[in-house]
Amino acid sequence: MWKEIGDREMGKIRPNSFSSWIKSNRISNLQLSNNKDIVSPHRGSINSLQVDLTEGRYLLSGASDASAAVYDVQRATNYEGNGLIAKHKCLFSVDKQHGKGHKYAISSAIWYPVDTGLFVTGSYDHYIKVWDTNTTQVVMNFKMPGKVYRTAMSPLATSHMLIAAGTEDVQVRLCDIASGAFAHTLSGHRDGVMTVEWSTSSEWVLITGGCDGAIRFWDIRRAGCFLVLDQSQSQLGRRPPVLARSAANKVSVSKSLSAGQNSLGKPRAPQKKYANGHGMKQLTIGRMPAKSSARQRLHPGMLSIQDRATAHYGAVTGLKVTDDGMYLLSAGSDSRIKLWDLESGYNTLVNFEMVRLQTSKAIQLAISQETAQVFVPCMTVVKAFDIWSGKMSLAFRGHYESVNCCWFSSQDQELYTGGNDRQILVWSPCEPMTDDTDTAHTKDQDNWSD
Amino acid sequence: MDKGKKRRREDEEIEAVDSDANHSLSLEQNLSFSDTLVALRMMRAQFPHIDKVSIQPFILQSQLYSSVKDRTQVDRELESLRRDKVVRVFKLNTGQDDHGIMFLDDYLKQVEHVVKRMEEKKQCDLQVFKWFKVHVIESKLEPCIGHQELYALLSLGGRMKDEHISLLINSGFLTHQLIDPSMYWFAIPNIGSILKGLSQGRKELLSLLNRRRYKKMMLAPLEKKHLRLSPLDMRFHLRDLIGSGHIKTVHTPTGIVVRVSKD
Repeated sequence: MWKEIGDREMGKIRPNSFSSWIKSNRISNLQLSNNKDIVSPHRGSINSLQVDLTEGRYLLSGASDASAAVYDVQRATNYEGNGLIAKHKCLFSVDKQHGKGHKYAISSAIWYPVDTGLFVTGSYDHYIKVWDTNTTQVVMNFKMPGKVYRTAMSPLATSHMLIAAGTEDVQVRLCDIASGAFAHTLSGHRDGVMTVEWSTSSEWVLITGGCDGAIRFWDIRRAGCFLVLDQSQSQLGRRPPVLARSAANKVSVSKSLSAGQNSLGKPRAPQKKYANGHGMKQLTIGRMPAKSSARQRLHPGMLSIQDRATAHYGAVTGLKVTDDGMYLLSAGSDSRIKLWDLESGYNTLVNFEMVRLQTSKAIQLAISQETAQVFVPCMTVVKAFDIWSGKMSLAFRGHYESVNCCWFSSQDQELYTGGNDRQILVWSPCEPMTDDTDTAHTKDQDNWSD
Repeated sequence: MDKGKKRRREDEEIEAVDSDANHSLSLEQNLSFSDTLVALRMMRAQFPHIDKVSIQPFILQSQLYSSVKDRTQVDRELESLRRDKVVRVFKLNTGQDDHGIMFLDDYLKQVEHVVKRMEEKKQCDLQVFKWFKVHVIESKLEPCIGHQELYALLSLGGRMKDEHISLLINSGFLTHQLIDPSMYWFAIPNIGSILKGLSQGRKELLSLLNRRRYKKMMLAPLEKKHLRLSPLDMRFHLRDLIGSGHIKTVHTPTGIVVRVSKD
């Protein structure tokens, strides 16, 4: 440790690599914290955890008993065990007793990305509520057509304050806090939308994962999605090799050609069967008249509705974009995690060894950018995988029941996990327990001896 | 030096594919391989002989994971083999993520065999199988195909009718997707009873281990046991369950011990 500090002073190690070396050391010995404890007032399983993005100090949790609570993870509320264990009780909590609170489970609780003055909760009672943190009052209420599975706000947004909401309805809705109304809806999914994430490289790009197994990319400034991830399109390696790009282009060109040929084909009887979702109805109506006008009826931006590519064989239950915005990790109910290269839109075929992932609820993944690790809740264990090789490096066993959500704080290198057993556990780098009081006394005694 | 022995063994076995010497090699000695193609060839050679059903050897993707250490490498090599038309990958309906891998020559042999059997039964209109073989198998390398594309590719052979697609489905070449009615999975014809045996055999093997007091057993005696409900042999099932994570192997001084994984 001292050698490294000396090297940094001399200039042998760059400051960035020094700090990432320290961080990776700390992360590699993460274990259940023996000096920090979060006391959770929740009486239901914890569905969502988030530490605020501005200071990294306040943890917001949402639970199945319609309660949301905020904790200060840097300052403890009281100490126990002779001053060694820091207990963090909740600063406040809002639940069913609150007049305007949610009635059913809260599936998603997120901070307003600009400051901690507001937070947004989405619940199975079809409402999204915006709360003022200081007065704990509901400022705004949005009614959704179905159970809200996930809400998200863009951390990069400077020109909009839209909440993207994924519900059991096939359309993704954008709610505007500034005006209190819905901005617009994004159609294209063929089943409920379980996960929503904003891109970390552009404030206009939204990524949604649906129960139909598709992952779609939307630019909210225009209609229709511009990319649908297809698990059969893959590249061998982190980035596509330069020479193979021409081969990949040929494949995509031939695909679009055949798609063009197919849409000019005769209208087929079996097609009338699948008129689910709004987009498909438009399609069948458009096919009645002559072949050439079939394509004119469909708005060019909505052509993506015809793309039925799936990213997973089951529902997409978790999405996470890396901080540099170049890769996307997606978890599905087929118990697979896939790494996608966002530049090319291909599956990088990294195999994360999984036995089972929970299939009914969405899970929250966490990424540690410096050490390139992803933390995945797999039933009762949280596993850390290396992103590039897919090998499991750490396993965190501590919860009594399935883990639903996890959040990694890269500032302190701490991992917070919440599960069905109503506990929020803190995993921190282990520090040796020192008995300061005794040695101080003996030192004093020696010093005071005459 | 272990690898040298394995390689010599592999070389002589690749030449003598049908020799009975394969069956005498124990799983303990050749549990892991260095390369996906080598693993595929070895496992193809070790495919058990089934009496009632005639089927060409196929390998499950979970078996590959149990033999080659790096799973990402397996996925990538499998992808490049698929693109080079050496193997074909099929999605099986026996479980969440089961994929069956067959060498392309074996698959074409299987197709021939099934078509010949249908000719003997004097069923009509077998030209759709020829179109299928020539146009669809050659150009569509993915495990699934959309209805429109299938129709378009088959039409390259001749006049297409809806009955032709039903014929393909009835003879086992295609199956409907449950989620999406307009997409089909490619399937290996004549494989139905074996897939049933596969899932029953898995359950039987897991219950065999679970009934033990400590839920573990030495690999050598376990391999000699015979499964009642499955036509596939114990080695096949062991590789499959190790690769999918239900069973773990532990190296002990007396040999390899197989136990049920707790996670």
